[in-house]
Amino acid sequence: MVSIPDTVQGAVLISIIDFILSFVIISGIGVVLTLLPLVNRKWKVDEAKLKQGH
Amino acid sequence: MFDQLLSLFKALMGQTGLAHFWWGNLIMIAVGITMVFLAIVKKYEPFLLIGIGFACVVVNVPGSDLVMPGGLFHYAYQGVALLIVPPLIFLGVGAMTDFGPMIANPKLVILGAGAHLGIFVALILAKLIGFGLGESGAIGIIGGADGPMAIFVTMKLAPHLLPQVSVAAYSYMALMPLIQPPVMRLLTTQAEREMGMAQLRPVSRLEKILFPIVIAALVNLFFPPVAPLVTCLMLGNLLREVLLVGRLAETAGGTLLNIITLVLTTAIGSTMTADSFLTVKTLEIVGLGLIAFVFGTGSGVLTAKTMNLFLKQKINPLIGSAGIASVPIAARVSHIVAHKANPRNYLIFHAMGPNLAGVFGTAISGGILLALLGAR
Repeated sequence: MVSIPDTVQGAVLISIIDFILSFVIISGIGVVLTLLPLVNRKWKVDEAKLKQGH
Repeated sequence: MFDQLLSLFKALMGQTGLAHFWWGNLIMIAVGITMVFLAIVKKYEPFLLIGIGFACVVVNVPGSDLVMPGGLFHYAYQGVALLIVPPLIFLGVGAMTDFGPMIANPKLVILGAGAHLGIFVALILAKLIGFGLGESGAIGIIGGADGPMAIFVTMKLAPHLLPQVSVAAYSYMALMPLIQPPVMRLLTTQAEREMGMAQLRPVSRLEKILFPIVIAALVNLFFPPVAPLVTCLMLGNLLREVLLVGRLAETAGGTLLNIITLVLTTAIGSTMTADSFLTVKTLEIVGLGLIAFVFGTGSGVLTAKTMNLFLKQKINPLIGSAGIASVPIAARVSHIVAHKANPRNYLIFHAMGPNLAGVFGTAISGGILLALLGAR
């Protein structure tokens, strides 16, 4: 693993990588959430049955 | 005879706390009383501030054995230091939280990353004023406005800063109704603040059940360093959404969460002793924490404004600041500021989307930080 230097440059480097990656990864979660409604086309859950334990 | 009486009296005084009392204790007692005052009179997060403030007062009365081994506050703190309390808090929060607003409007999750610029501003500034890189990371995570996550990351990167970081994180979260609105108003126009938003689509039960399972799997796959917290959050949420184990969900989000909140707040307050707290380092950390919150709030609003350049259906930029996390305080602040601008505005559900995404944003930032700094 590449070690980050304990300097101000290291702090800036970490910050830039972290900030950009956060956007990328959270966008990935957004994509997953966008796809989630597709399950409604195939399956449906009956809430009344769920509450009864069936 | 008189000398004997005097020395006996002196020895007796030495046994009490009075002999060890100094002006620092007085300041910290005033800080604790202020917290309790803000909680009771101003209603600023009373669930957090009453416990923190009360414990702060008690531990600054010299002679209190509560923070010594054998004392109750000492063991409460062990729960925090051993990272038992943060995942349990997340379990309870998950059991109480409806992730529907986040699932219903996936594009708003971007705000959960956008509102975290404060983490990195504080990180760089901390390094600039002489903190180590690990310490700077722990200070930066205050800007994630997520108490359990701040504790978790700090314990991994700079455990000796836990008292200062946790106090700063929780105090600023409680003070968000004071910190955020001026920044939000500064960066938005009256017309933007008045902007209404369309109703969210209904989210099916199946989506709500699948959501915690999918997210828990993804987080464990990609972010093992912060997986304990997010996994507990998702377990709590699954207990809630399956509708089948109401007792477990109620316990996790009710009784258990209340007990853990008691433990957490007294543990944090008990670290606020004058001897360890009244240092320049503490002032620096508290100052950096405030900068982190201000920049996080501002970057969230600006991210929302940037999104509006590309979106057909515009969003009220005030919900951007909710992306800072601190569920549901930041969402409430967004709603209140928008409601004041336009009494017909009811943005709480819209703000909950980025607010919940902010939890994941903080977890992601914290996870990347831990991975880059080689902490597990």
